[in-house]
Parts: sequence; C-alpha cells; structure tokens
Amino acid sequence: MTYIARIATAAAVVALATAAPEGASAQERIEFMFPAPVQGKLSREMQRIVREYNAAQDEVEVVGVFTGSYDDTKIKSQAAAEAGKPPAVVLMSANFAAELAMNDLIVPIADIAPEGTDLDAFLGEFWPAVRPNALFNGELYSVPFQNSTPILYYNKEHFAEAGIEAAPETWSEWIEAAKALAKPDGERWGLMMPSNYDYNGWLVQSLAMASGGSFYNTAYAGEIFYDHASTKAGLKFWRDMVHEHGAMPEGVTDGKAVSTAFFAGQASMIVLSTGALSFVRENATFDYDVAFIPRNVRNSVPIGGASLVSFKGTSDAQKEAAWKFISHLVSPEVIGGWSRFTGYFAPRQTAYELPEMKEFVANNPDALRAVEQLEFAGPWIATFNTVAVRKAVEDEMQALLSDPELTVDEAAARAQKNANEILAPYVAETAYKF
Amino acid sequence: MRSPWSALGLAGFAAVVFLWSTPILWMMLASVRPESFGSLDMASLVPDTVPTGDQFRYAFLDGDWAVWFTNSFILVTGTLVVQLVTISLAGYAFARLEFPGKDVIFYVFLLQLMLAPPVLIVPNLTTLVSLGLYDTLVGVMAPYWGSAFGTFLMRQTFRAIPRDFEEAALIDGASWGQILWLVLLPLARPGLIAFGIVSVVFHWNEYLWPLMVLSDPGNMVLTVGLVSFALGAEGASDWGLIAAGTLLVVAPLAIAFIAFQRQFVNSFMSTGIK
Amino acid sequence: MTIGEVDSTQSTARPVGATPALRLRLRAPRLQSLRPYLLLLPALLFLMLFTYWPMLQVAVASTFQRRAVGGEGDFVGLGNYGRLLADEDFLGALLNTALFTAGTVVPSVVLGFLFAVALRRSGALSGLFRAALFFPTLMPLVAASALFIFIFLPGLGLLDYYLAKLGVRSINWLGDPDLALWSIMMLTVWKNAGYYMLFFLAGLQALPEDAEEAAMIEGASWWQRQRLVVIPMLGPTFAFVTVIALLTAVIQIDHVIVMTQGGPNNATNLLLFYIYQQAHEFYDLGKATAATVVTLGFLLALSVLSLRTMERRVHYES
Repeated sequence: MTYIARIATAAAVVALATAAPEGASAQERIEFMFPAPVQGKLSREMQRIVREYNAAQDEVEVVGVFTGSYDDTKIKSQAAAEAGKPPAVVLMSANFAAELAMNDLIVPIADIAPEGTDLDAFLGEFWPAVRPNALFNGELYSVPFQNSTPILYYNKEHFAEAGIEAAPETWSEWIEAAKALAKPDGERWGLMMPSNYDYNGWLVQSLAMASGGSFYNTAYAGEIFYDHASTKAGLKFWRDMVHEHGAMPEGVTDGKAVSTAFFAGQASMIVLSTGALSFVRENATFDYDVAFIPRNVRNSVPIGGASLVSFKGTSDAQKEAAWKFISHLVSPEVIGGWSRFTGYFAPRQTAYELPEMKEFVANNPDALRAVEQLEFAGPWIATFNTVAVRKAVEDEMQALLSDPELTVDEAAARAQKNANEILAPYVAETAYKF
Repeated sequence: MRSPWSALGLAGFAAVVFLWSTPILWMMLASVRPESFGSLDMASLVPDTVPTGDQFRYAFLDGDWAVWFTNSFILVTGTLVVQLVTISLAGYAFARLEFPGKDVIFYVFLLQLMLAPPVLIVPNLTTLVSLGLYDTLVGVMAPYWGSAFGTFLMRQTFRAIPRDFEEAALIDGASWGQILWLVLLPLARPGLIAFGIVSVVFHWNEYLWPLMVLSDPGNMVLTVGLVSFALGAEGASDWGLIAAGTLLVVAPLAIAFIAFQRQFVNSFMSTGIK
Repeated sequence: MTIGEVDSTQSTARPVGATPALRLRLRAPRLQSLRPYLLLLPALLFLMLFTYWPMLQVAVASTFQRRAVGGEGDFVGLGNYGRLLADEDFLGALLNTALFTAGTVVPSVVLGFLFAVALRRSGALSGLFRAALFFPTLMPLVAASALFIFIFLPGLGLLDYYLAKLGVRSINWLGDPDLALWSIMMLTVWKNAGYYMLFFLAGLQALPEDAEEAAMIEGASWWQRQRLVVIPMLGPTFAFVTVIALLTAVIQIDHVIVMTQGGPNNATNLLLFYIYQQAHEFYDLGKATAATVVTLGFLLALSVLSLRTMERRVHYES
C-alpha cells in the first residue's frame, strides 16, 4: 500500500504545485486562445506580441494559448467555458461570433469596455465590410483582428507563355484563360480552388456573390439561398471547370494541395485567402501577381479571417483586463504590424494611415490589391448553426466536383432542403412564432 | 540453424520493407531539402539537392522542445505508473478472489474499454475543473488511471500463472501483498510490458485530449507543440518543417527502440504468456 | 500438500489454504471480506469519476434537447434517437465505421503476423527491418496524417510521383469519394501493422520449436506449418492484438480531423467524428449524446464478444 500512497502524494504535490501560482499576484491573469493562422511562424510571432505586451505593463498578464485549427479553437474555448473556465480573449473565426452570441457563450463588447466607451465610433474605424460580422442583433460582440477575402493568384510566366496579357476580369475571360492555361492529363491545371470543408463554403459564397447574390439573409439568421439562381451559377461555374472545361482536377482538393501545386508550377491560377499573401510572396520562385476575383454579374467577395471575442463568466477584473489587451491588439500599430507580417489585411482602416503601412503598401502592390478589393466585400455566412448550414452546400459542391452526372439543380435543391431542416427549429422559434 | 528464407524471399521481403519505409525516407529527405513548399520533383526519393539545416533550425526556433519533451515524458510515465498499480490490484482481485458481485463489477469495468475521451470532453473537463486539475498534466492523465483494458490483461496474466507458487508462499506465511509483489508481479512481467507498450504508444501520440486540457505553454506536450508550429490553416503547408518537426518528435522513441529492440522482444518470453 | 492441490485444480476456489485462511480470519474477519473491494477501489475510483459519471450525464442528456449551449432543454424521451436513426449521415457513418474497422483490423493484423514470422530470428538485418516497420507506430497520428496529405497529393505527392513513372495517371486519393476512405485505411494499416508485429514477435519467441520442427520433418509446407502449428498456438496473441486493433480503429479520429473532416461528401465520416461534429460544431447535443449511447452499446457488445473470445483462447492455451 505504501506504493499507492507514494503515488497519491506525488500526484497531490504535482497538482498543488501547478495550481499554486494562480491568483497570487496583483496582476490580472487572463488566457488568450489563438489558432494556427497560416503557418507556424505566425504562432511564434503571436507569442512574441503577447510577451512584449506583458513586459510593457504590469496590470495584465496574458497567457497566450495555442489552440490548433480554427475548429479546435472553437471546441476548446467552448468546452473550457462550459466546464467553468471561460477564456477572457479568443481569436475566433469571424463568422462564429453571431452563433456564439446566439448561444449566450460570449459577452457583448460593451460588457468589457469601460462605461462610456463610444463603441460606435470605435467600430467606425474599421472597414465597412468587416462590420456586419462583428455585430449580432445590432450589438457589437467581436472585434475584427485579421481579415481576408478570396483573391486570385496567378503565375505570370504561364500567362505569358499562353499569350494572355492581363488577369481575367469576367467569368467568360476566366474560363477562357483557364482553358488556355491547362495542359492535358493533369500536367498543368488552369485553375485550382480549395474545396475542403470551410474553404469550400466560403468560395461557393464568393462565386454566388459575384453572380449578384447575397447567399444568406444578412438580417435574419434563419434563411439561406442555396436554390437561388446566383448560388446555382456559382455551383455550375465550379463544376463546369472540372467536367466541361477540364481545367481543374476532379474531386475535392485541399487548400494545402492548392498552394503546393501553385508553387510547383502545376496550377496557373489559384484562389486562396489574402491571408496567404505573405506565404506566397516569400515562397513563390516565379513571377506571380494577384487580381480581384472575376465578376459574373458584379465584383463581390465575402470577408473571412478572425475576430476577438470574450467568453461569458469571467470576473469583472478579467473583463477589464480583456478589454485592455484587445485594445492593444487592435491598436493601429499592432494590427498593422500583424498585417504586414501575415498578409491578412488590417481590418482597422486607421492602420493604413501609419507611415510604415503606407510604405509597405507602396512596395507591395499585391497587398494593395487585397485592400482595394475590400470596397466590394460583404459579410461572411453567419446563420443559426452556421457550420451545419454551410456543410449542406459543401457536401453538394463536393458531390458535383466528383460526379459528372449530378445536375446543379438537383444538388442545389438538396442543399436547400437539408439547410432548411437545420434552420427549422430557429425559424419555428422566431419568424413563425406568432 | 539454416537460413529461414531463400535469397529470393529475402529480396522480396526487403522490397516490402523498403516500400513500407518510403514515407519515412521521404520525410528524412524533405527535412533537409531546401524547397519545402512545393516543386515538381519534391516527392523524389533521390537526394538531389545540397542538404540544408534550415528546417531544423526553424523547428528549434519555433519549438519549445525541452519543455514539450519533459511534459510528454512526465505524462507518459505518470500515466503508466499509476495504471500499473491500479490494474495489478484490480486484476489480482478478479483473477484470484471470490466476492459477491464479481461478475457485475467485471462488466462494469469493461464499459470503459472502448470509451474514447473525445466523446466525453465536456463532462470530463467539468470534473477536472472541480478537482482543480484543469490545465495540469495530472488532469490529462487522470481519466486513464483506471484502465479496463489493463485490468483485463492483468487478470488474464495472473490466471495463467500456476497457483502452486502462491500456495507455497502462503504456507510460508506470506501475506497477500507479499505474494502479489514478490511472486505474481515478477511472473506477470510480460503482461506488464505488453500493457506498458500499449499505454506509452497511445499517450505519446495523443493529441485531442491534451489540447483540450492544457492551456499554459509551460504544460504543453509534444503533439500539441508540433501542431502549433508545423500545421497551418488557410491552405498553406510547409512540408519540410512538418518533416523536421515530426522527426524530432519520433527520434527519442525510435533510438530507444533500435537500441533495445532485442531485449524488448525477448522480455515478453520469460513465461508462456503472449 | 493436499490442500494446495485441491485449490489449484479449481480456478474458482478461494486462493487461501485452510490453515493460513483460518489465521487471517481470526485476526481480521471484516478486512478479509472487504479486501477484494479495496483492491478494486483505486481503479474504480477513476472509472467512476471519468467514465461512469460522465456516461450517466450523457445518457441523461440524450433524452433532452437543448436549444442553446448551456441551456436547460426540454425532455424529449427517445426523440433524439428517432432523429438520429432518420439521419442519413449517421447511418452513413455507421457503415463507414464498419468498413473502416474491418478494412483496417484484418490487413494490419495479418501483415503484423506475416512481418513477425519473417523477422522471427534475431540478427542485424532483421533488427533493422523490425525498426523500419515499427517506426510508423512511434509517429503521432496528427503528424502521420499531415505527412500522408503530402503522400496522397494528386500529381505531386509521393504516391502519384512514382505511379506516374509506371504510367498511372494522377489520382485524387483523398478527394475522390470512392477512394478517400480507402486512403485513410491505407494510412491506418501502414501505421499499425508494425505495432502488431511487435506482439506477434513476442508470441513467437515463446513458442516451443519442437512442434514446428516435427512438422517440417514430416514434410509440411511453410503454409501448412503456419496454419496447423503456429497460428493455433498463437491464438491468445491473435486475440490480444485483435482487441487492440479494434480499439485503435474505433477511438482514433485525428486522421479524419486533419485529412478530410469527414469529406468528400461524408465519404470518410466515421462515428466518432460524427459525434464530435454534432456536439462541438453543430451544437446538437441531443443527437450527439444519443449517438454516443448507441455507439457505446455497439462497442460494449463488440468488446465483450472479443474479450470472451480472447478468454476462451487463453483457457485453451493454459
């Protein structure tokens, strides 16, 4: 029995030792959970920003917690909150804020900001395109930190070789270019776009918006427009690229496969997030450029990226600390520096007024292009049960990419039906509750 | 003793082993290849470039390896040591003692066998928080301390040991504790080692559960650490860095295996248990 | 020794002989009858905290439907189970899991056995081969999955690069709904066969060689020797490895999370991933908990069955 006793004591000692430091100092200790953004070195940069902040003041001690993918981050922060350890600050996929607010998991920013803070003026400093996703029922629930839009990356050398002078601006030009650039038997693809879950829904939305659609009802969380002409146009464009034009590989392509194929010169055009800009800039060994996503009916793209939220159930002191840290992170200097380091655009407009930012944009026209596209950007799908609703169309898009027999009408109808079923409980409780 | 295989069989088997090893061979090459983001010949298994140490340099820059290794080591040993105690005691009770409710309790034990922690993330985190074990290595270990599989294995192992040894010890006046410690456990070594391998391999490689429990960077373990710098979101992948990081994670166990594999395998054989 | 003999022939008998037992009983009769429970206590304590208690919560939660995370929810009885069985994705996940389990357990156990037979004798070369085959086991599944994303990369990846040299066109291993599950199974077999080899190696070391040699003298072929002598004697090892393989097949989802998130179009959606997604991404705790209970029912039946088999094998052996 002494053996067990020894183990038990050891366990107790470990438990005590690890539990002791909490709450001992006057500093307010808060957790900041963040996912892996584009690549590993950004995690390191994020930890550096946290360390620098901790060293610069002595009221708040931030513990930077790496939390895996965007999905892992959501799961971990929710699980922690449900278990009674709500994180004070989390960098969360920008379109999850509405859902978290709907589920009463996060607090409005007004709850953590000092009384009298003019949040309207605060939000007014951010690009108009990123504002809708930050709000839920008219109230501010998240602060945009790193944002992106889909953008077209293209290999200029391939363009020259195929005799194409400029980046395509319309869908018909886009299709022609893709066909001209593609080489048979998969030796080279004209266009590649990631069709794995998450990326998939974002790009279907982008294509629907370029066709004049709004994809989902931005004012009411219980409606989605999968069987509308604009969404169907997007589905058709994407599937035709594969089955009609042979300019894109069949089946689902992961984002990692897309960037790798582009670097290897195996894809002439790719659509990726502007968040991958620095990554492409640093690693492309050939002449490349970026262009707006071509228009079908209009130029329009959804925003993407991540925002800062604060979970419910923290102490007043932690809330105060959370606001201090969030204000620091989104200050024009920090948010601008992060933008230059990563490639995400800075959602705070005022960041672009800083001299270092002006100089950077002047030296990197691709970064400027990404910012210019913002003028045409709209909010990212955020409904009741966003991920499940989004998956309804992603499953169909994936089926379309693999199965040449499946028609767009069938796929769109099924996506709509499945999404309606997911939205039904919300609709029953809101619009139909009279 | 004659050679167990003909030359042809040997060549064929060597080819199979080679095929089996290609992912690892590629990984070793990729970890020192300069272009790690994508090129047409990046899958080649022929060393075609001047090796670079960049990937490993980045891996060391980005990773807190000493902390991660220490924590993973503590996690694996802490889990195993407590498991060995609980499964030996429970296995002994099921193998050698008669008591009311034995069968029922045995089936209750088995319930846990196939329970995957991801299913119980939220309730288990809640329990950890109320015990004050959230964000501690002990919190990662605790749910595994009662192992149905281990208990079952030890029960089998004990049952396969002839009773004569214990009878003799009993007559000499040994207590049950002495019998367990001095007679049964040494004879049960193969069972303990088999369970040890299963446990160490499982916990060394586990990702989701430690990710959920641990927050403080000082508590981070290898798998979570590796993902934190090697796997990116939003469509970017640095294959060389993944390769280098993975090699660093695998290296210690691989070296230990190569050095001790013969003893390792032979240690099972001392009694007739497999 | 008469007492001892009586005891040892009956596996169900009390282990203690009459005389020592009498002594103990005189000293502490209460402790004596409590001892089995005390021995079980440490394990039971952890099982209660981290298995039975959460399972009870899951079972209760499966009869409620929560509208929001953290909300109370309405009692719906078996309603969640009805919704679950009506969910095509759930049925698909069941089917995928059955296929995945059968398609990984059988080949990895068989390969593990064949590897072990081939590498039975110790030597420098077999040491190297053993290490090469065991290496994948040491690699965390998240890392192996990231590596295999590359291996399966259409056109550029290791597999396609060399298949192209054989004239095979680029294949979208993870992106083709008909192939994706098989590709993930390939990774799983690759990762686990060497692991199981280790247990078979250990089992083979303990086999007496005379039976095999006798068979060889009688002119039995290699396969006859394996089938008639080695495999029957390795019964317990097969049972043990099969249980481990079943466990591994069912409780791991890192590869699905990293490589496909259940796609394309649910082709790689396994039960555990289904539960994980319902609970954490779709906020449908009712469905998630009902699926957990159903899964546990299946698994329990499966594990009792396989352990019973294992037990019989061991008895047969000893």
